[in-house]
Amino acid sequence: MLTEVKNQFKVAFTSIKYALQREMLNKVTFITNILFMILNNSCFIVQWIILYSLKENVGGYTLKEVLLLWGLAASTFGASRFFFKDAFNLTEVINDGKLDVYLIQPKNVLISCITSSVDVSAIGDMAYGYIMLFIYGISIKNFLLFTFFTICGALTITAVSIIFSSLTFWFGKIDIVANTINSLMTSFATYPDGIFKGVIKVLFYTIIPIGFINYLPVKIISDFNICYLLMVIFVAILFITIAFVVFYKGLKKYSSSNLMNVSV
Amino acid sequence: MRKYLYIFKTEVMTNLQYAFDILIGFVSYCIMIFIFLNLWHYIYSDPKELINGYNMNQMIWYVIITEILWMSLGGRKLCKKICEDVRSGNIAYNINKPYNYVEYSLSNHLGLVTVRFILVGILGMVLGLVFLHSTPIQSIFQVIAVIVSCFLATVINILLITSLGLISFFIEDANPFYWIYSKMILVIGTLFPIEFFPQVLQPIIKYSPIYVVSYGPAKLFVDFSLDSFIGIIIAQIIYLIIGFSVCHLIYNKGVRKLNVNGG
Repeated sequence: MLTEVKNQFKVAFTSIKYALQREMLNKVTFITNILFMILNNSCFIVQWIILYSLKENVGGYTLKEVLLLWGLAASTFGASRFFFKDAFNLTEVINDGKLDVYLIQPKNVLISCITSSVDVSAIGDMAYGYIMLFIYGISIKNFLLFTFFTICGALTITAVSIIFSSLTFWFGKIDIVANTINSLMTSFATYPDGIFKGVIKVLFYTIIPIGFINYLPVKIISDFNICYLLMVIFVAILFITIAFVVFYKGLKKYSSSNLMNVSV
Repeated sequence: MRKYLYIFKTEVMTNLQYAFDILIGFVSYCIMIFIFLNLWHYIYSDPKELINGYNMNQMIWYVIITEILWMSLGGRKLCKKICEDVRSGNIAYNINKPYNYVEYSLSNHLGLVTVRFILVGILGMVLGLVFLHSTPIQSIFQVIAVIVSCFLATVINILLITSLGLISFFIEDANPFYWIYSKMILVIGTLFPIEFFPQVLQPIIKYSPIYVVSYGPAKLFVDFSLDSFIGIIIAQIIYLIIGFSVCHLIYNKGVRKLNVNGG
């Protein structure tokens, strides 16, 4: 069992490595993509500087905490898009019958599918996250916590996308739902939860779990709380488990489209 | 001119077939407005309070208008298409046709923007009226003035994005330039009026494209005056000429470097 998991990870990392090497063929484009993504994200610092010139505290967050929130949102988003890019195109893969190529491989279908390509600009998102951590105040503890929450958050975001994309097995063209959930997570994650009221806050801790991906981790980094940490870990494991269960239940309903496809 | 009108009309008709899909795609617009509604409610302790000359309703309407302009633009799609045309060599098919590629792109993309603008415009107005119960606009003349300004803003935006896309003639992928441009417009032009920026930066922003593609039309909507209307329209016409010239310059220089393999 353990050897099987180890082998699966090996295959996934090799797949990511080759996908990255493919992208690195044109070095200038590769580097510009990363640098411009960092610049692209940095533009939003202006927004917060202006907002904090109007009010000292926005939604219970100081400027540095908001920058950390932004950094964590960028790095979790970046890690999920870099390592599991195709989890966000899963509806298209299922609808077009492109799963055939993964079904014939003697490895885990879901992992093979979602790790088959990488998004280079997402490296810029991850780097931006650490730059924000540096501005917030870097220490060994903060660095380790930030890295840990980036991994947990990326896995949770990917799991949420897989869950909603897997509904395609039952309902066909449902990409609008999956895209909306992804869009909700990205949009809300960069604003302090304190500015929102009512039902929307419940959503942050249920179907769009950015509360566990961003808000609680920022609270933990600024004021360590073991209960919150355990909740974040528990929710990540829960969403990953649900993602696997939903995907494999749906896979039984999958029908090929006889599309000729080769994975090299 | 007639051929470009025909291209525009064809594109409008095509996109009307997908009106429902386009409307569904504006979920992110609704999310954005919802976030800013909450944010400004939080910042303004009293809705009638003035911050840099704007009350809460004006600030939310400002974001609604600038977001309508930005969301209806589909700039990423335009830039990506031009980059792809250049990189894949598709542009070669356009070169030997009896039209200019820049004007073709403009009329073609305007067809898409027109449908999107009408749909997202209605959506934005409905959201604004539901949440704020009133609009700052007071006469038909003001409505026409804002629409004219929005049209010019869109044409300028398309020309500027086209020129960014045409940079692909010189480097392989011009999309990163678009990311920066889009974020500049989004952060500096969409979220806050110029008056919210430090005094030192305000004159610089007033001379930048942000003034004509974003701030101008939205300012006319939230705080109309004849003087500002004339000033904004003059600035937009100047930018229109600059946009056309830059596009043609890059295109004419780039097309000489074009090398297409295969058949």
